[in-house]
Amino acid sequence: MSKKSFIVTILILCIALIMTGCPKKTVVKEEPSVKKEEAAKAEAERKAKEAEKAKGEFEKSLVAKKTPGIEGEVFESSLLKDIHFDFDKYDIRPADAAILKGNADLLKKYHNVKIQIEGHCDERGTVEYNLALGERRANSTRNYLVSIGVSPERVSTISYGKERPLDPAHNEEAWAKNRRAHTIITAK
Amino acid sequence: MLRYFFILLSFLILVSPAEARVYLDINAPTFVQIPIVLAKWKSLEKTPPSFTEKAYEILANDLTLSGFFKVIDVAHLPSPLREREGIPNVSSLQEWTPSGGEILLAGETLFQPDGANFKLTFHLFDLVEQRHIVGKQYEGPLPALQSAVHRMADEVVLQMTGEKGVHNTKIAYTVVQGSGKEIFIADFDGANVKQITKNQSINLSPAWSPDGKKIAFTSYLRRNPDLYLIDVDGKNLKRFSSYPGLNVSPSWSPDGKKIALMMGKEGKSDIFLIDADGGNPTRLTKSHGNEASPTWSPDGEWIAFVSDRSGSPQIYIMARDGSNVRRLTFEGSYNTNPSWSPKGDRIAFCGRIEGRFQIFTIGTDGSGPRRMTSNSGSNESPSWSPDGRYIAFSSTRTGAPKIFIMNANGFNQRPLTSSKGGESSPAWSRRFE
Repeated sequence: MSKKSFIVTILILCIALIMTGCPKKTVVKEEPSVKKEEAAKAEAERKAKEAEKAKGEFEKSLVAKKTPGIEGEVFESSLLKDIHFDFDKYDIRPADAAILKGNADLLKKYHNVKIQIEGHCDERGTVEYNLALGERRANSTRNYLVSIGVSPERVSTISYGKERPLDPAHNEEAWAKNRRAHTIITAK
Repeated sequence: MLRYFFILLSFLILVSPAEARVYLDINAPTFVQIPIVLAKWKSLEKTPPSFTEKAYEILANDLTLSGFFKVIDVAHLPSPLREREGIPNVSSLQEWTPSGGEILLAGETLFQPDGANFKLTFHLFDLVEQRHIVGKQYEGPLPALQSAVHRMADEVVLQMTGEKGVHNTKIAYTVVQGSGKEIFIADFDGANVKQITKNQSINLSPAWSPDGKKIAFTSYLRRNPDLYLIDVDGKNLKRFSSYPGLNVSPSWSPDGKKIALMMGKEGKSDIFLIDADGGNPTRLTKSHGNEASPTWSPDGEWIAFVSDRSGSPQIYIMARDGSNVRRLTFEGSYNTNPSWSPKGDRIAFCGRIEGRFQIFTIGTDGSGPRRMTSNSGSNESPSWSPDGRYIAFSSTRTGAPKIFIMNANGFNQRPLTSSKGGESSPAWSRRFE
């Protein structure tokens, strides 16, 4: 309310000034400058609120994960999405690039978060060759994140080969799910 | 414990063979098993018959597992021969003709007066030529019975084929437990199954040190696939290669000084050489592909490995310094897991055909590829016995993957143990003696 009346007051003053024959330039210059400041302020407030909300969402999404026989406690977040791969391939598919963009945007908001990309494979093929393939999948995912602005120091990689399938079934559907790069949070 | 047995377990050659003769050329692509009669063994003095029966059973099982014999045991003899025990005279050998055997093995057991040691005696006879072949005696403390009988079986194999058997060898492998895998060891005959790691982690690709005292393997204990060493009794776990990324699929050079392995130091898997203490990593492969599963030639000059540099995984061979790379396999689009025969002439590998994996062998010059398995399941991870006459591998033919053993010509395929499965990555030890 007070803002509106303030603007109205200014407008009246302007008209008065024009009427009194004051130079136009001064007036025109002053009006947008005030508006800009206001708009910027409002935008900053909105962003802060959004960030606060997102932060809450991200923190709420974190689930601690301890694995027997593997040291350390890490976290998983449903907001950091998995990507998937074709059989015996490690290139990022176009649709998955958008997913990684989303993951990267989140990481850019939280500068303290460090992640590890896990490269996984389906059960077909040998233990060792799948470890090599998982290594490649983890690294191509990491490289993509780095290429769109995520600092390389924040992203480590690990290959689990075919040792940790998401779906233990022995069919195409399970295999497609298991050929994935999964993100865990090693520091928040 | 083992060393203790070996010192005390002595044997005596009672009669040397007059002439070395090979009854069975096992290098031929096919061979007919030698029918061998195992006459009832005699328990001398106060030896409990149960002890004698146990020794007899271990030997019968060993000779059956070798794949070289058609064993005619007591139960399969005609009644007058069934009860005949002890060592016969050469002049009476013709009485054994109705047994249907070509070779006769007769034995005796004796408990020493101290009750803590035994003596085993066996004699081999040729029933066709009606002559004595060899006789040997083994002595040792009671717990060394298995080992003594295995040596006896090795000797029988030597007399019949010109080369000792592998009954005193062990096989290391992984077993799924919970969400991880643990390292296990079993004897050649599937006895003495022992769990080596108990850490709940993912433990992978065991490899015996050439002296048979240690096993190198990969574990995720520290949230990275690092290389570890452990004594065969499960003691002295030591981490010795822990570069970020892969440190997997170790293969010891025959002299034990170097280990070839897959490392992820360059952001992808390459074949590296490290010292036996984990130092001086040297990159051997220079392609842009994924490189995997190194295996040494028995002369220590060459390394076979997997590379997908051509677009699909294939077997390649390079000199130990990474030079002179050549491609070995051209058939099929997925060939992995090479294992170089200790005889040097062939390489076993796992190839995909009609959507399933099968074991093949191929000459080191790419000649004479042979398919060894044809079952409905997948067959992977071949590993040669130290004499190059058997191949251990994992197979899903009965459900969950299990370790199987076959003769190197593909015959006589049998599961290693009677466990439920979840087994993979067999690695065959040297001979223990």
